[in-house]
Amino acid sequence: MAGTGETSYLVATDVGGTCTDTVIFGTDGVIHIGKALSTPPDFATGVLNSIVSAAEPMGLTLEELLGRTHLFIHGSTVVDNAVLTRDGTPTGLLTTQGFEDTLHVTRGAYGRWSGLTEERIKNPVQTDRAPALAPRDAVVGIPERMDCDGAVVLPLDEAAVEQAVRFLVNEKQVGAIAVSFLWSFLNADHERRVRDIINRVAPGAYVTLSSDIAPNLGEYERTSTAVINAYAGQITNDYLTSLQGLLAEKGYDGATMVMQGYGGLLPAAEAADRAVGMIECGPAAGVIGAKFLGDLMGDPDVIAADMGGTTFKVGVIQDGKLEYAREPMVDRFHYLAPKIEVVSIGAGGGSIISVDPRTKVPHVGPRSAGARPGPICYGQGGEEPTLTDVMLLIGYMDPGQFLNGSITLDREKTERIFKEKIADPLGMSTQEAAIGIYRIASAQITDLIREITVERGLDPRDFVLHSFGGSCGMLAAAFGQELSVRRVIIPYTASVNCAFGLVSADVAHEYSVTQNLPATTSAAQINAIFAPMEERARAQLAAEGIEPDRMRMEWSVDLRYSRQVHEVTTEVAANTPLDDAGAARLVDDFEALYERKYGRGSAYREAGIEMTMFRLTARGLMPRPTLPAEEEGSADASAALIGNREIYVETKGGMAPGDIYDFNRLQPGNSLKGPAVIHTPITTIALPDRMTARMDRWRNIVVEFDAD
Amino acid sequence: MDPMTFSIIRHRLFRIVDEAVITLKHVSGSAITNEGHDLMVSLYRADGTLLMGGVGFLHHLTSAAEACKSIIRRFEGDIHEGDIFLLNDPYTAALHTSDIYLVSPIHHEGRLVAWSACFVHVYDIGAVNPGGFAPQAPDIYTEGFSSPGIRLVAGGEMRQDVLDTILNMVRSPEMVTLDLRSMIACNNVARDRMQSLMTKYGAKEVDGACAELVNQSEDLFRARLRELPDGQWQSRQYLDVNGETARVNLTMTKKDDRLIFDFSGSDPQSPYSINCTKWASLGGLFAPLFPLLCYDITWNEGVLRPVEMIAPEGSIVNCTRPAPVSVATVGAIQSVNNAACSTIGKMLGASEKYRNQSTAVWHANHFAIFKFGRNQKGGDSIGILTETFAGAGGARSFADGVEIGGEIPNPISRMANVETVEAAFPVRYLFRRRAPDSGGPGEYRGGTGGELALVPHKAPDGGINYVISGKGSRHPMSEGLAGGYPGAPNSYVWVKAPEDGANTPVTAAGGLDAISGTQERVSWGVYPLMGRDALYVRWNGGGGHGDPIVRDPEAVRSDVAAGLVTLQSAGDIYGVALRDGAVDETETMAKRKSIRSARLQQEASE
Repeated sequence: MAGTGETSYLVATDVGGTCTDTVIFGTDGVIHIGKALSTPPDFATGVLNSIVSAAEPMGLTLEELLGRTHLFIHGSTVVDNAVLTRDGTPTGLLTTQGFEDTLHVTRGAYGRWSGLTEERIKNPVQTDRAPALAPRDAVVGIPERMDCDGAVVLPLDEAAVEQAVRFLVNEKQVGAIAVSFLWSFLNADHERRVRDIINRVAPGAYVTLSSDIAPNLGEYERTSTAVINAYAGQITNDYLTSLQGLLAEKGYDGATMVMQGYGGLLPAAEAADRAVGMIECGPAAGVIGAKFLGDLMGDPDVIAADMGGTTFKVGVIQDGKLEYAREPMVDRFHYLAPKIEVVSIGAGGGSIISVDPRTKVPHVGPRSAGARPGPICYGQGGEEPTLTDVMLLIGYMDPGQFLNGSITLDREKTERIFKEKIADPLGMSTQEAAIGIYRIASAQITDLIREITVERGLDPRDFVLHSFGGSCGMLAAAFGQELSVRRVIIPYTASVNCAFGLVSADVAHEYSVTQNLPATTSAAQINAIFAPMEERARAQLAAEGIEPDRMRMEWSVDLRYSRQVHEVTTEVAANTPLDDAGAARLVDDFEALYERKYGRGSAYREAGIEMTMFRLTARGLMPRPTLPAEEEGSADASAALIGNREIYVETKGGMAPGDIYDFNRLQPGNSLKGPAVIHTPITTIALPDRMTARMDRWRNIVVEFDAD
Repeated sequence: MDPMTFSIIRHRLFRIVDEAVITLKHVSGSAITNEGHDLMVSLYRADGTLLMGGVGFLHHLTSAAEACKSIIRRFEGDIHEGDIFLLNDPYTAALHTSDIYLVSPIHHEGRLVAWSACFVHVYDIGAVNPGGFAPQAPDIYTEGFSSPGIRLVAGGEMRQDVLDTILNMVRSPEMVTLDLRSMIACNNVARDRMQSLMTKYGAKEVDGACAELVNQSEDLFRARLRELPDGQWQSRQYLDVNGETARVNLTMTKKDDRLIFDFSGSDPQSPYSINCTKWASLGGLFAPLFPLLCYDITWNEGVLRPVEMIAPEGSIVNCTRPAPVSVATVGAIQSVNNAACSTIGKMLGASEKYRNQSTAVWHANHFAIFKFGRNQKGGDSIGILTETFAGAGGARSFADGVEIGGEIPNPISRMANVETVEAAFPVRYLFRRRAPDSGGPGEYRGGTGGELALVPHKAPDGGINYVISGKGSRHPMSEGLAGGYPGAPNSYVWVKAPEDGANTPVTAAGGLDAISGTQERVSWGVYPLMGRDALYVRWNGGGGHGDPIVRDPEAVRSDVAAGLVTLQSAGDIYGVALRDGAVDETETMAKRKSIRSARLQQEASE
């Protein structure tokens, strides 16, 4: 199939916390998948290993593959990693005099409690802020001041700037400098002049201006963003440069596109200057991948759930649209950059099960056995029962069928420890206790997803649930049913979903202008705000080789009711540039969206409506690979039936016989009834009683709840 | 009951409270609810006892229970599915009139099975001063609308006549409408979710789990109390207002598995609205008790059972009608918070096992400053100075307090950005930063408070006015622990511009004294911020822990370098001598020795 001279390839590689995944699309329509361990801090090695693992089954060497590759798309945790491990460049900060503490006092208690679980928030005596990425003694206040209209109140003291730069570079030995002045997003003149001075006085220093990286209202978040970007900027730059060098050495001469947290791609050279943009781009790509599948299958409303060894992540796609995070954070630091909302909690297959010795109440997590030592059943030294061990005890995992039989699971040891640590203290049989833990885990995930959807004013009953990751398939049908979602889908590409998301993304640039205007503002005035942004965007896309007919300009405006805090980003649905009817429609759309999100009766029209931010997403459409679809054949799945064993069946209140199927032997169109278990090469799908699973023409498993 | 089902129901009860809080914030959309997190949502059992307290303003958890109970008494036999009651009378259960409780019965299959209650600080309540805090109110009658219980929603239908009557008495009725709507939506969500929980697991099962949850909290709390030493601990709080000082006296006795908080010896009720009623005092002492002693125990009725409170009638902590109470939440209640934090901290400090849980008093004194006036866009602007929520952490037995780190009774608050304030109000900040010497000295230093200065900017009326209920500028209130000093008091200064026509200051890197003009202290009432004048506010730091003369001299040096401790305090209080920015060890040793012997002589002479 592959390997002929005519076929050329699109290679997409996503570096995750544990694994680096690769998806390769050939122009012949065939998809290839590769996987390797991530290799922090030298991520490039893992990237090459992952590509090799996909190329090998194709019968190609790395050089042969790269020689025929026309596009390389990449997502990486390099920035997240630099922040989490505090491995960035020593960074200083220049800010408005009188406000030197802004970064460190984090709007009061905000930075002390943000990012903590409710359990920890309830014990404030044991909470602290994370030490800032720029130490307080590397912050220098500069005499200068703009006001709320961007008018100069106090001119910039250039001599003070020069002195401060010398102090930071010589005494504090910083290699990066962030510059963040009050109101700089309205008038960036002072920040730009500071950059000129730094370039002259300390030409080697990496500089980030807050007005460049986050031209938005709110000095704490804007300053924090500039500091994170300065801190991780050099590392990101070096990484992308060296990765491109390595690929070039191996024969690749095409472009490299880099995934951003907002789900769009940027050319590597631009991505290198916007480190904050890459934060959490992997999970964002995962949501993009789910959206691609949703679009393909005709499902515009999707809850994308991903459960691996340590975390459970949820993204929501509503009406084919993605939601941006309102208060994004990396580690415990706030930043301002468009980022797809993905909620993450510490619950995964490795979550440790415990019984509170005081109350005899069982708990799932929050501690995790992680990849090492891992669950007891993996036999890698794990001595504490985990959720994965429970899955083995209730028959959802087969000791001999795990990861294609590459590891034999230790059932005897798992049972022994689980009995001693969990079942006995609870006064229950091993099986009863394991079933109970499964029910708790399923109920807690249900609660979490319900809370996430409620927060967005959504009803889970309108959604299709996509299940990704190694642990999700064993729970998805159960919690999906309790949430009453329309159906549950375990996609064929579930194991490499983030890499899959990379190939379904477009080039995208985000621009914004912060300006406070009444909703009665004329269409002409709104157009005048967007026109220069569009002009910039078109030039940018053209420079990246995007033809004008592949450019898409998407306008949106943040609106709010006066004296209210909730701002709602409202898409401009009318043709742009706007006419007056289009401008009026924008306001109507805002009002409808507001009530949907915040509930009936939440709108407060009497105070008036204001526009606060004008956003442009400029897209360069990428050629979308097509997923090969097969004919759906017979419903008879018996050829894939490989056995029958005792599994947990909720409707029977305990263990009962269930059919066991091999995913690899299922064919499109095959249909099977629960209670059953389907073993795939990377996961297990548990199908409860009164549900039907079907393999569709893209080899996704579609679970439907039987009508009563 | 089956531990698994119990665990599932317990988790769901937590999430129900979370969902209700989200709904409240969504519909309200006000800054004080969303940014200040000045709200509370809790679930109560059929008899009105606390079932599940959420993370909101913690002094409300118990008083909302009393609100439920008094509604049960008042409306006995006349409580129906879909009703929602409003209660905001401080002499019945509320803390002050502007914190309105909405209380909803929850029925399942026609039977009353539980209650939900929530509050927000409403935009206005029609008191003599706008915004809820009414420093000029001489009595409860001038503190706005108050009700000991009225049916606002009957069987799911809003009683329009009742609503109209309430709205007729307040400023900005539209904003108050939104506040009320948010609370109704919140109670509706709590009710729906409780009902579906009961449908799924059975009302009896759920109620059984609730009873067990309450008993479990009681057992856990009593077990913890038995681990702690028996004894008696005291704290005195001095609350100064407009030149007068009121004292709150607390003796906490712990015996076996019981705790008694005795406020005997506290001053009589004040003519100023800093007083609080007994339900408010009870709430006030639980606000630190929950997070300090019960951080890993579900906050419910079970935690209340081992606790007894004695509060003399007619005192500042149990005032009688018609004493004014509108400033209670930042007045006597806060003093009760502080005193309880201190006595609990002392008890914890006496236990080897729980020593790390003890803390000096955090941010002991809110400054309630409401700005109001026309802004630069010609619109009305009114709002609290949110720096009051920024707070400061008390020092702990193992670490310094968190700088500008919040407060104990409101675990998740935050302050607004300078730019947000300047965009909405016709003011400009000269500075906003940590205040030197504000953190209480100690082996571990209290977290610093902050300081700010405002001047009018582009104000169409030349400036704005503000209501200030500023207390605690004479006596420090953030008590230290284990020999630590208290945090510095608050300070409110009106800087009156010189007559000579100098311009409005544009910068003041040197702080208050760098602003030219005459300084006049303000604390209580309504004041202008006009022309070329400035308003300076410093808010209190946290208390220190341990003796400052055993603090690591390097830590003192670093505090001085960071501008958090002045050179003079380093020498006089910490006994640390610095030379060219480094610690002079010999002189430091000598200084500390002389401080110690001076103390001994002082004791000998007393």
